[in-house]
This record gives sequence, structure tokens and C-alpha cells, in this order.
Amino acid sequence: MDAGMTDTPTEAERYPTLTDSGRRTLMQMREHPHAPIFRNESGNRLTAEDLEGLAAFELALGTPPPAGNPPGWIADLISGVFADVPHYRALGPPPARLVDIAPISRRDLAADIARFVPDSVATARMINFQTTGTTGHRLLIPSHPEVAGRYLAYHKRALARYGIVPTSGTGQVGVMLIGHQQPCFTYVSVTPAMGESGLAKINLHPGDWNDPSDRAAYVDAMKPEIIAGDPISFGILLDLGVTWRPRALLSVAMMLSAGLRLRLKQHFDCPVLDLYSMNEVGPIGLYDAKLGGHVLLQDRLWVEAVDREGHALPDGERGEITVTGGFNFCLPLLRYRTGDHGALATVMGERVLLGLQGREPVRFRDAAGGWLNNIEVSHALKQLPIAQFALHQRADGSFLLSLAGNALHLAREANEALRGLLGAVAIETAEIAAPDKVIQYSSDLDFPR
Amino acid sequence: MNRIGPSLESVTHRLAETPADFLGEPRIGPRGTVVVAAVVNDVLAGLGLAAAPDLLRLLNDPKADRNALKLAMILAWLLADEWLAAIRPEYARVARLFIAVVPELAAQVRADLYVTDPDRREELARSMLAGLDFRPAGETTQQATDRLSRISAAERRRLLEAGRASEERARQIREALARKAAQESADKWTRE
Repeated sequence: MDAGMTDTPTEAERYPTLTDSGRRTLMQMREHPHAPIFRNESGNRLTAEDLEGLAAFELALGTPPPAGNPPGWIADLISGVFADVPHYRALGPPPARLVDIAPISRRDLAADIARFVPDSVATARMINFQTTGTTGHRLLIPSHPEVAGRYLAYHKRALARYGIVPTSGTGQVGVMLIGHQQPCFTYVSVTPAMGESGLAKINLHPGDWNDPSDRAAYVDAMKPEIIAGDPISFGILLDLGVTWRPRALLSVAMMLSAGLRLRLKQHFDCPVLDLYSMNEVGPIGLYDAKLGGHVLLQDRLWVEAVDREGHALPDGERGEITVTGGFNFCLPLLRYRTGDHGALATVMGERVLLGLQGREPVRFRDAAGGWLNNIEVSHALKQLPIAQFALHQRADGSFLLSLAGNALHLAREANEALRGLLGAVAIETAEIAAPDKVIQYSSDLDFPR
Repeated sequence: MNRIGPSLESVTHRLAETPADFLGEPRIGPRGTVVVAAVVNDVLAGLGLAAAPDLLRLLNDPKADRNALKLAMILAWLLADEWLAAIRPEYARVARLFIAVVPELAAQVRADLYVTDPDRREELARSMLAGLDFRPAGETTQQATDRLSRISAAERRRLLEAGRASEERARQIREALARKAAQESADKWTRE
């Protein structure tokens, strides 16, 4: 086994460049009278050398590739991956064209992730990000502290589009990551590239607090410059009576409805960034209302929309979003099907993903016997500030609409919006029981092909 | 290896000169450009043979192994040789090269090495000749048999070692990912 991390990391391994002021910030976040019960430990794990590498990475960041043929770096990527990655080496010599590579999916990674890790990557400092995706199958994504650190460059790029340059530093809290689930991985850390400003990952579920009212008091006391979370946790945060106003909210992991985005923006009086990001490749796009979709963020990521057979589709046609490249050197991807759908376009000179939807499209049958795509349901409900919902059509044509607990009061409006779209159909409303296991759209009916 | 064929050098030389057309991207399902079944069909016709449907099906399989198809194209080039056309080889022996020998050799290394690497060139040349019941000119049956088995055995040993190393590497990665330290992960400003 490689020499490197011990099984349980020490403080020096979690925070290799920690100074006394950083240590004070950690203590301030962990031991504040209103602090939650932090259940875990983690850290930035970044050495001085890593930090130099990250600064250079950020400096070298280019713009996302324009439409047209795959960029020149793809050829080098293909030959490198076919030489260094066991899964691809077994396929023979590298093909000359990207389109001749069969796309892979999460299922391929889940079958044996080790076959997708380059031989040249040392395992000593390998970390993982766990993901369950929409299928519920656990997958460990191999990563590295420096890869995790690279996210910051893209977050800064996203924030810059809203004119925000993060300025938090010594003794301040730079980012608070909020979740709302049981169990939730919670801990404190510092960001060395930002003067060791604090990072607190907290769970808004009352079970993680001495007193539920501590939640708002803690956020107010920590004054995080940025709050990051998902639509569910932001939905909870709205109702806690927090008086602190961060400079921006970063929403990831799920679809953020226009209604909730507007409510959050009005309540917190700051920009609400809707990031399309996944463990496998990091931040892919940022929603930009002016462009009508998610503008691509990464310079070394080639994004395609492909059909079922893996053919790249022309701009404007919806397909499965498929990515090549990325900044995770532990998992270089060639035509990885993300499971999400959308269409590519160039809008005002920028590459944009239009109509982004998670999972394969589901078709619903309306009262008149016609069929419509789930994206129309998303449009019909988007003005309602609902953090999470699911729609299922039963074999008899009736619907089950499941709503997050704090959105049940919107059931009548949601039903009206759906009937406006689907006609006089039967709709039963229920509360979402397990928010982390929701399949947003499903149907027992077979769409006639 | 009862019959005397061309010299080994002439066969390996032909391999080294494989034209780009025979090194293209094999068509598998919706991908690739070269329809390998058509190439093999043409080459066999040039030898006065008719490819059987089962062979063509194998080469047209949408789940075919890409490396094996690439090697099948290289073998097709090797077979499209005047000395062989003059002899008109047995169909069953030619088909067996594609059905049994190609998958076995393709499982060892990437197909292009049978063109660029001298040892692999020799292995493919000798395998082709032996499969058609020929031995290289200037060699006795015993010499030809010994030399083919020596070069194949060396490759099988290398393959075995590579297989072990790759299993060990996969085990290291799985262990590394399962460590508590890896589970703790590291900071990101967002968690997907």
C-alpha cells in the first residue's frame, strides 16, 4: 500500500497549513454557544505545494470551448486515457475521433470504478465523494484534495458573473454549507486560499441542534459571506427567521424552481446562483436568466447532447448531456452520459444548456389522451416556491403529486396549474416522506412509440 | 505446419507495411467507419473463398470487441497476399483464424502493436502461417513449432504478470477509497 494518509487523519493532515488564526476560526465555529452538534471531521488537506498548484490552475483558467468540432486538447486526452486507464486500454488503440468512442454511464462506473482510474495516479492521497444519484446506487467517485480545491475557481467564476468577488478572510466565515437530512455529514474547516476564512457544513435538521432556535442564531453569529445548499435546505432556511444577509446563495444538486429562486432572492436580498454540478465532473453550468439556460463554466470540459445511440445532436435538439474531460485527474471522462437532459445552444456568444432536466424524460398522458413531456410540467409549476415535488402517473391515468412538507399549503395552486396543463385529471396530493429518495417524474403508463 | 510457406521476413514485412485503410476505425453499432465484415468478405473472395454467414455475423456484431475487429482488419491485409491467392487455402482454416486466433491475440495486446512491435509481428505472422498449416520457408516443422510456442509463451507470461499487476492496482484503489481518511473527503464550497 502507498505510504500516505493514515486511517484516521491527524489535524496536520486535515489542515496541513493551519496557522494559529485559522485554529481560532475553527474553534469559534465549533464552540460557539449556538453551534450545532458537529458529527464528523474533515479538512482542506491542502499542502503548500497544492496551494501553489491551485493558484496556477485558477490563473490558467480559459473560456469554455465554442460550438463546432471538439477542441484540440481532446486528441491528447483520448490518447492519454487509452494508454493510462485500464477500461480504455482494453479497447485497443485510441480512435482518431471522439465520436467513435462509445459513451459510458454511471452504470459502467458503478460496475468497477477502479478500472476508470489512471494507472499514473498515486492512491496515497486519494479521497472519495459519495453519490447515490437518482438510481439510489451508491458510487464512490475517486478524487484528490487538489481536485476538491479546484471547485473554488469555478465558484469564483460563477460569482463573478453576478459581480461578486469573495472577500472573506482571516477570522471570518467564508462559506456555510447547509443540508437538511438525517444523517448529514457535518464539520468545520478553513479555506487557506481565502486567508483561512471559515467553512462550516451544517445540518438544519433539528436533531443536530441543542435547540432548534440555535439554527438561526448560529447563522446570524457566523455571518457567512456565501451560503451553499440545495433547494430543500434553502426552503427550510427561509422559515428560520435568519436576519443575516449573505452576499450570495449557491444552490446545487437539484432543480431550483423560478418561484423558489425569486423568494430566496427577495428574502435574502442577494443573488441566488443555480449551479448545475455533479460529483463526477464538478460545476458544469450556471443558470443565467438573460441567456435562458445554464451557461457552461469549464474550459476543459467538452459537452455534447446525445441521442440514445450516442450520436451528438445539433444545437437546439434535446438529448442526454454527455461530458468529456473535466478537472478530476483521478477520473478523466470520455463521453460520460450524465443522466441529465437538455439542448445546447450559443446564446450571446456563450455556450448554454437549455431546458436542463434531470433523468430521462418521462411522458404523461393528459385528460384528452394526448402525451406531453415532463418539461412542460416543470414549466407549469415553476412559478410556485416549491423546493421539491414529484409527479407520478398511475396505470389508470390518475396522478400522485408529492410535495415537500413545507409546500403542502401550495397544493391547491399546484393542482390548478397541473389541471391547466393536463385537463380534468384526478390528482391526489401527498407529502414527500423521504426527500433524498425522490424520483421527480415517473409513470406506470407506457408511452406508445 | 506441413507445408512450406513464404519466408517469415516477407510476412512480417507485409505486416509492417499495413496500409492506413486496414487500420481505420471498425464500425460497431452506430460508431466507426470501416465495415470489417465487408473487408473480410472481399479479401476472402480474392482468395476464391466465400465467407459463411456465421463469420460475417461475428464481424458485424454490435457488441463485438473493438480490438479484435481491428486485428481482424490487419489479418485481412495479411491474407490478401498473392502467394496465398495462388494456393487457395482451406476455408475452415481461414475462418478459424478470425473466429479463434484473432480473439485470443486481441486479448493480449492492442491490435496496432501487431503492426509496430517486432515480437508481436512475428507472433501474428507465425500464428497465421501455422493456422493455415504452413511453416516459414527455411524452417523445419520442429523449429517453426518451437519458435511459435516460445514467442507465444513469453507473451502469455507477460500477460499473466500484467493481469496480476492490474488486479493489485484495482485492489489498492478500492482499499484507498474505503479508508476512513478517504471517506472524510475534503473541502468543497458546494456538495452535490
